[in-house]
Amino acid sequence: MTDQTQQGGAVGVGQTTPRPLIERSGQSDAPPGAARSHTIVVLANDRHGALDRIINVLRRRRAKLQAFAIGRNELPDVVRITIVMDDSEVGVEQLVEQLRKIVDVQHVANLSSEQMVARELALIKVNSAESQQAGEIIELGHLFGAHVVDVTPQTVTLEVTGSKEKVEKLVNRLQSYGIRELARTGCVAMTRGIVES
Amino acid sequence: MYVAATITQKPEGATLYQAHRTTEAMEARELTGSQILCEALMREGVELMYGYPGGAIMPFYDALTSYPALHHVLVRHEQAAAHAADGYARATGKVGVCVATSGPGATNLVTGLATAYMDSTPVVAITGQVARPFIGRDAFQETDILGVTQPITKHNFLVQRVEDLVDIVHEAFRLARGGRPGPVVIDIPKDVQFSKTQYRASASISSIEYFRTSRALHPSAEAIDKAAELIGGAQRPLIMSGHGVILANAYAELRAFAEKTNIPVITTLLGLSAFPETHPLAIGMPGMHGPAHVNRAIGVSDLIIGVGLRFDDRVTGKVSEFAPHARFIHIDIDPSEMHKVKRAAAPIVADAKEALACLIEAVEPGNHCAWMNEVRNWEAENDERSASIQRNQEYPDPTSILEAIRAETNDEAIIVTDVGQHQMWTARHYTWTRPNSHITSGGLGTMGFALPAAMGVKMGVPDATVWVVAGDGGIQMNIQELATLKQEGITVKVAIMNNGYLGMVRQWQHFFHNGNYSETPITGPDYVKLAEAYGLTGMQVTKREEVETAVRKAMETEGTVIIDFVIESEANVYPMVAPGAAITNMIEEKPEESTNHD
Repeated sequence: MTDQTQQGGAVGVGQTTPRPLIERSGQSDAPPGAARSHTIVVLANDRHGALDRIINVLRRRRAKLQAFAIGRNELPDVVRITIVMDDSEVGVEQLVEQLRKIVDVQHVANLSSEQMVARELALIKVNSAESQQAGEIIELGHLFGAHVVDVTPQTVTLEVTGSKEKVEKLVNRLQSYGIRELARTGCVAMTRGIVES
Repeated sequence: MYVAATITQKPEGATLYQAHRTTEAMEARELTGSQILCEALMREGVELMYGYPGGAIMPFYDALTSYPALHHVLVRHEQAAAHAADGYARATGKVGVCVATSGPGATNLVTGLATAYMDSTPVVAITGQVARPFIGRDAFQETDILGVTQPITKHNFLVQRVEDLVDIVHEAFRLARGGRPGPVVIDIPKDVQFSKTQYRASASISSIEYFRTSRALHPSAEAIDKAAELIGGAQRPLIMSGHGVILANAYAELRAFAEKTNIPVITTLLGLSAFPETHPLAIGMPGMHGPAHVNRAIGVSDLIIGVGLRFDDRVTGKVSEFAPHARFIHIDIDPSEMHKVKRAAAPIVADAKEALACLIEAVEPGNHCAWMNEVRNWEAENDERSASIQRNQEYPDPTSILEAIRAETNDEAIIVTDVGQHQMWTARHYTWTRPNSHITSGGLGTMGFALPAAMGVKMGVPDATVWVVAGDGGIQMNIQELATLKQEGITVKVAIMNNGYLGMVRQWQHFFHNGNYSETPITGPDYVKLAEAYGLTGMQVTKREEVETAVRKAMETEGTVIIDFVIESEANVYPMVAPGAAITNMIEEKPEESTNHD
């Protein structure tokens, strides 16, 4: 308190020292390193421009997106979007409110704090030109509950669903064969059981 | 009282009812999109719009002549249409309407829409679009205006079927004025304007209903109790009131709340005139150009009660050192403002009027005379310091100009400022007493705002005396609107504070770029001849003693008058907080710096 008063008292004397203009001093109280991963589910009207506005909010906040999955839900004319991103706690609260302000957004939930189920699907096309390789790949896939969706003389394509960690584990195990192509959907998520909103 | 409040004071139902009667007779008729648009605008109570015709909006302009009750003002540049609609909205609280054609017409609106968005004012922009088969094919004058305006509007619509038009128009108005107000764009392809359909007055005219309910957004009892507890325990509390007080017409509530709690009141730039500065509890404006005692008070305060403001960086300076000892009560209608800058101990998501009314009930009467005396002593120090500085008495100075305007208008003028040094001088040195008498572009800081906005203000509040205060840079940005003023017979008085510089940028160069005045010296026209060329009256004032006479003469002269006040060329706005610095760390005027011509 005293310090503050003294600072105030010293007003004006020789304080015209130039300051770096580019430093905007950060308009947030969020401590550095507070960022963590969040899973946000947005229900939006399937109308012209709705998706653009959601993306725009994320772009303007320079959110670090990890996944963005769009699909239908149980209601007609509504799309369900699952966003996985890094942000600080304060930032995410504001993001949720900013998303709620979009006219075509019906509902926003931050699932990070809830008990949730999060799954993604990946298609993995792996080299199998050498003998025995196809068999090994398929066997490895079975350990992860993956289905074989395509086999050619040169490649085997697996379809796997599961948590992000599980998918990544399988991908890592398959690296030694040489992955030709990898397509991941990004997470879709929902809470477990019934959550009162 | 000409206030944003006309919303609640004027029964909009009356307008609605009349509009309803006129439309009922037409219920069964088949109308074109353009006619439907006019019908819907009438039904929304629109009387006035600003715009500029062009290819893709021509069917609407064709229909317009059959609706004489919809007065259209032809501006000279679409940017001015958006600013005028914005000015009208700020002065009346009603939705301002602007119209432009596709492509360049629509893109010219962008700055005005961004201005309205940043300051939360209700504007509906109607833009023509190329016919549907041409959209996305790079047609002549085609711009994706939905894409362009998306980040600077609350919402925007492309009307894809004429059958949707009527609902979209009403929805647009509902959105523009509901909750935290803002601009909304309706983009209408030319062939939709031509298409015919059965017109039915929208069955559920939900706009008014929605507006009332969202306005009455009730604060949670929990938050109010928490706030009352904090207020009861505070030793050095401050009220900071912002634009939300004006938008909510909460003047009486703010005053009653301040008086009951005996808490000093700070008003932000956009909150100026929300609380009379002649009131014993008024202490001034915070932030970058706020007087030292206000920023010092914030520095030691233990409770900040923010009412309808968003803690902009020009208010807070370095956030970590902004009110470091204070807890925050934050009242705002927009939940996304809560905790954005400062974590609020009591976040109150509500209309400012409602929230203050609840707080008045919840708090005990307080006494903060000792605290107030402390602040007043600091203020006296400032005044003493300021009085000790030798000043140039030769030139007209901002204070004498503003005092003359206040005196000659019996303190009844609405002042519309542009952006820059004059804006800060006006904010600081004019004595704001009448609700909603100060209009400026605060958030976006749009040069060229004042003159066109003043057109909207004057037309919205015809009985008011409207003064534009602008710099010689900003006035040249939309000076073409003098022709509109002349054509429409709109009277505004214009005071140019002419220092031959882009003064605020020059000031920053002085402090932060070693006085390297890069591209800030600026010349202008002979404003007396210019005024005459537009068929208006012009004057030039070069001496301090001529200021009052000139202002009086301007008031006595019929029509728009421009006064070119030649002020000291290198005067600075003091005090100043460097960007990114703590607001208690102010650059003050030094004695040797007065009458500076270094």
